[in-house]
Amino acid sequence: MNPLLAIIGPALHLLQGQLPASAPQGSNIVAAQAAIGSLFSLHILIAGLVSGAGELGPAIEFLGYVRQRRRYDRLAHGLGRFITLYFSVSSTIAILLITVLLVGFWGHFWTTIVTIGWWPLLIEAWTFVLQVSLAYIWYYSWDALRAYKGLHMAIGGLLAIASFLQVYMIDVIASYMLTPTNPQNPIRLVLNPTSYPLTVHRTVGNLAYIGFVFGAFCAIRYLRARTPEDKAFYDWAGSFGVLWGISMTLLQPVVGYSYAKEIQLHAYASWYKMMFGTLSPVFLWQITLLGLMLITATLYFGRRLRTDGAPGAGLLRALSVAMVLTTLLAAQPYHLAFTYADVSAAGLDRPFWEGGLINPLGSMIPWKVLALMFYTLIAIGAVVWYLRGLPGVIWGTARRGEERLLLLMAVLTMLMMVTMGFIRENSRAPFLISGEMTIQGQQNTQNSQPTPAP
Amino acid sequence: MARRLAAAYNWFDERTAIRSLLRKGLYEAVPVRGAWFYTLGSATLILILLQLITGIFLTLLYVPSVTEAWASLNYLKQHDAFGAIVRGIHLWSAYILLFVIGLHMVRTFFSGSYKRPRELNWITGVGLFVLVLGMAITGAFLPWDQAAYWTAVVVTNIPAYIPFIGSFARALWRGGDFVGPITLSRTFGIHVWLLPVILFPLIGAHLALLRKHGEFGSYINYRGAYRSREGVDVPPAPQQRPIEPPYPALPTDELWAAPLQTEDFYPHQTFKDGVVSVGLVILVFILAVGIGAPLEAIADPSTTSYTPVPEWFFLPLDELLLLVPQQLIPLVLVLPAGGVLLLLALPFIDRDAERNPFERPAVMVPGAFAVLFVVILTLLGSGRLFNL
Amino acid sequence: MAHRDPRRLSRRQFDLLGTQVAGAVAAVLLGIPIVGFLISPLFRREEAVWRKVGDISAVPEAQPTKFEVSFPQQAWTTSDIKAAVYVVKRNGSYKVFSNVCTHMQCPVRWESALSQFLCPCHGGLYDMNGANVGGPPPKPLPQFVHRIDGTTLYVQNRFTETI
Repeated sequence: MNPLLAIIGPALHLLQGQLPASAPQGSNIVAAQAAIGSLFSLHILIAGLVSGAGELGPAIEFLGYVRQRRRYDRLAHGLGRFITLYFSVSSTIAILLITVLLVGFWGHFWTTIVTIGWWPLLIEAWTFVLQVSLAYIWYYSWDALRAYKGLHMAIGGLLAIASFLQVYMIDVIASYMLTPTNPQNPIRLVLNPTSYPLTVHRTVGNLAYIGFVFGAFCAIRYLRARTPEDKAFYDWAGSFGVLWGISMTLLQPVVGYSYAKEIQLHAYASWYKMMFGTLSPVFLWQITLLGLMLITATLYFGRRLRTDGAPGAGLLRALSVAMVLTTLLAAQPYHLAFTYADVSAAGLDRPFWEGGLINPLGSMIPWKVLALMFYTLIAIGAVVWYLRGLPGVIWGTARRGEERLLLLMAVLTMLMMVTMGFIRENSRAPFLISGEMTIQGQQNTQNSQPTPAP
Repeated sequence: MARRLAAAYNWFDERTAIRSLLRKGLYEAVPVRGAWFYTLGSATLILILLQLITGIFLTLLYVPSVTEAWASLNYLKQHDAFGAIVRGIHLWSAYILLFVIGLHMVRTFFSGSYKRPRELNWITGVGLFVLVLGMAITGAFLPWDQAAYWTAVVVTNIPAYIPFIGSFARALWRGGDFVGPITLSRTFGIHVWLLPVILFPLIGAHLALLRKHGEFGSYINYRGAYRSREGVDVPPAPQQRPIEPPYPALPTDELWAAPLQTEDFYPHQTFKDGVVSVGLVILVFILAVGIGAPLEAIADPSTTSYTPVPEWFFLPLDELLLLVPQQLIPLVLVLPAGGVLLLLALPFIDRDAERNPFERPAVMVPGAFAVLFVVILTLLGSGRLFNL
Repeated sequence: MAHRDPRRLSRRQFDLLGTQVAGAVAAVLLGIPIVGFLISPLFRREEAVWRKVGDISAVPEAQPTKFEVSFPQQAWTTSDIKAAVYVVKRNGSYKVFSNVCTHMQCPVRWESALSQFLCPCHGGLYDMNGANVGGPPPKPLPQFVHRIDGTTLYVQNRFTETI
């Protein structure tokens, strides 16, 4: 059946004065999942930037005020402009998602989750309103409030808080879907087992993401800049973006590992799927992407210092090598087959040098844990060493190579985010709410199970 | 009447030199800007003194014996309302002290007050921090209820992971292979005598060093702060003043030697110190009366239903214990020990004269990471405990 | 001044040396008993005693059952200390476990829903044979030195291996 017809079919029924019997069924589950999945990814790719900019922009403005440096103000202003330009795009996608796709295809799920997460979603809606209004006020009052910087920064501070709360509330819903607990108690709902780790993970991630993306944007602008002043600004801003992005990223291994631990304790099937099951190759790809991103950043730091002969480039080259070795360790697969179950079923549960399909160097405990620790430590070292060398850098003299690395980092970050979204949603499959509501189950509203009473 | 008082004061001053002592103590010069942040040190001192006083009075009732410890505190809880408040003050003051000492350390780190010539001040401060943590954890064993007993078991088990001497170190504290009466007696002695005997002289040294070099304060009080700002001139050096103390007579790091503006410690700084300290004491009092110090069921080593929960200040370490796989457990010892060593070495790593925190990112950023890691681990740990 | 024999100590040097020797002697005299006192419990092994746990004939197959046993506490305390004992019967043979976790010594409990022993502190898991199968514990669940007289179990306040 033509998928498009299946999607607008119910609408046609409506035109004929009949309510559709149920949500679109059958093979269109795949079409529906693909539609929702791709739109969600697109939404997150933009919304993550908007949230991150709403938090980072005011912070940069404050730094600029304290240090009395004009370029910080210019950068913050640019981030404000970004929010005002792209907010509507991300919001439109979200509205489309919710009102058409989610209500249309996952209607039962959506009404259930809104009923359960009533308070978080209410707060979410209001922080959203706050975020929009504050973002516009913050950006458009910039020049008018130049003499009242304190007030302007206070508006920015409120914007940062609203952006954070908005992400926190939607994460409550997202984490509830994975680890549902006691829906009648709003406190337990908000503090469900994966709520904290997910919120910290996403907040830190958004902040890293905006850093890398504006770093890449500034790289393009740098290559096109004409005046020395512009060149100096975009060179500095690109470096700032990467510094910020890597500083946030190196917090992620601890947070991510802790998040996975909570999933292991409270949603074991999902955890198993990610670590040993059908999603394990994708997760392996994710840890490799992380390594590639960190290598790129360390290379950038080293190159940028070497361009101006600033001290420290040598150690950074050594750290890049260390990062490559760590990535090689992290990228080792444990089971040399699609899933661990395949290896078990074939009875080849032993190291490959004994004729089996297991690579002991790829085990999470302790090798990947060690690799994650090394990622973090080497990244801290790289950041500190770059900061030490910064006084020797002359802004505006960066070569093309550095700018290309900035662009690569933004691409890698976006890939990581899309991969993470894919892993996240599929690890929970076939459930929409772990253990309670399946995708199939809520398709047919007559037959689907009601959410069990707490 | 007034003349009689003045005469009595003179008689006293002739024999004790109290007047010059008070002048030295009260009329010390303190930097003007950012003064509310400098109240954290005195707040820490007040809370430690509060601990000393309430602790002394608690020893008038508490019995450090495995059979009587819980019973004595239970008696206090049931039959002695005022005693229960004293115990509550002792607990909440401890919790708030740990928080305030952390803030004090962050403020000092941020302002670069550990630089020459104040390195020893910082080092004694780190020693004080470790001792206060030691006081907090040894104090936690004393009630010998379920929470205290299992805290004792887990905490005394941590030294067992030291290579080679691990089980020796554990047995030294426990007085044997397992937690028992000797553990409680030793911990009581450590908490009430051994640690305080090192703590209070170290506080004396910390304060003496502070008086010798003067309160550094914040970079905004100094000429060096204007150097990195665009379009602003560095103001001229402040005139030499006959002041108490002694902002370095020899200008070490000339731009950071003496604050541009100072005021008298008494009454300006003492007012701010007083407001913050009294505010904290009132908070402690409210918590002591409102919530009080809990006392769980008596220690039961054979339990299979109790879930030991760490004290909040141990949450980051506990979360690490959860995350670190068994092959890497010694890391849980290495990280805090390494952290303390780094703290001690800080004045020797960051030797540059610059005090503006925004101009020394190579030190601030790793410091921020350390704080962030601790905060994130605490958040994750508390979220986990809520869902046990 | 008359020529002095350089080997003879001057008054100042004698007093100096004497002060140092006095200090050293005092420190040693004080130090030896104190250090000895601190480390003496390490060399004083607790007496190994046998205590009766109870009748284990009713313990079902493959279902760890909890018993409690009392041991004398350390040192001078006259009261006993209780310990938990898990008895597991498998194919006719018995294993007698302590519930002391080998990670940080928290109290382990049998969770029938998981068919494993769970340590609530950090999520350590042990299977029915005591092997450490999940989480941070580095060693298997400790076993008591025990003997079975007929259907009565006796345990000693000793583990088969030190933890």
